[in-house]
Amino acid sequence: MAVSAGFKSDLLGSIPSLRAFAVSLSQNADKADDLVQETLVKAWDKHESFQPGTNLKAWLFTILRNEFYSQMRKRGREVQDSDGIMTARLAVHPAQHGQLDLEDFRGALEKLPEDQREAIILIGASGFSYEEAAEICNCAVGTIKSRVSRARSRLQEILQISGEDDFGPDAISAQVMTSPAD
Amino acid sequence: MKDQNRSSAAAAGRRQAGEGDPLGANSEIGRKLKQYYNDLVSDEVPDRFSDLLSQLEQAESALKKD
Repeated sequence: MAVSAGFKSDLLGSIPSLRAFAVSLSQNADKADDLVQETLVKAWDKHESFQPGTNLKAWLFTILRNEFYSQMRKRGREVQDSDGIMTARLAVHPAQHGQLDLEDFRGALEKLPEDQREAIILIGASGFSYEEAAEICNCAVGTIKSRVSRARSRLQEILQISGEDDFGPDAISAQVMTSPAD
Repeated sequence: MKDQNRSSAAAAGRRQAGEGDPLGANSEIGRKLKQYYNDLVSDEVPDRFSDLLSQLEQAESALKKD
């Protein structure tokens, strides 16, 4: 079956999100674009396995993520484990309240193990549900929840943000806010 | 005893916040996360990607003619 024009334009439309996810994963712009290229080629080749009407973005993110981890394995790099050597890698960046610099944030994000970083990006930025993120990462919903929660604590720790909206009315108003999906 | 009550109430509060949207608009981390990501999403897409898709498309139509 030929690749439809619609599929091609959907792929084109997904590129900005794919690049953002690839940079978030690899923390390197060149590697990220190679990942996106590889993802597009793979998606094109196996377009028949995509079920129209399902979430194309999630499908593409899954391909990209698999590609990322398979490249890491090929390079012989151990995939970081969340409970590894994090304490040693925690650098302290004092942040003034409400004045958190984006550069500092980027640095802190980079210090997270991949599994935590991808989880917090998928949930907190890419607009995926916990269920979708679990499918993309091929793990249980509870695993995603715990990675997001650990990632958030780590970031707070590195950036020296205190518990923010854990208590009080903020926590309640946070629950009625919906995060925009892009 | 009082301390115990307090700490379990605090734990309950944390759980509750965790089940809401801990990365919502009221969270500094949540806001920075979105800012970081939106910056990346709005980055201009290099031509290599649309070129690539056109090449894939051409390769396919060439294949069909055979």
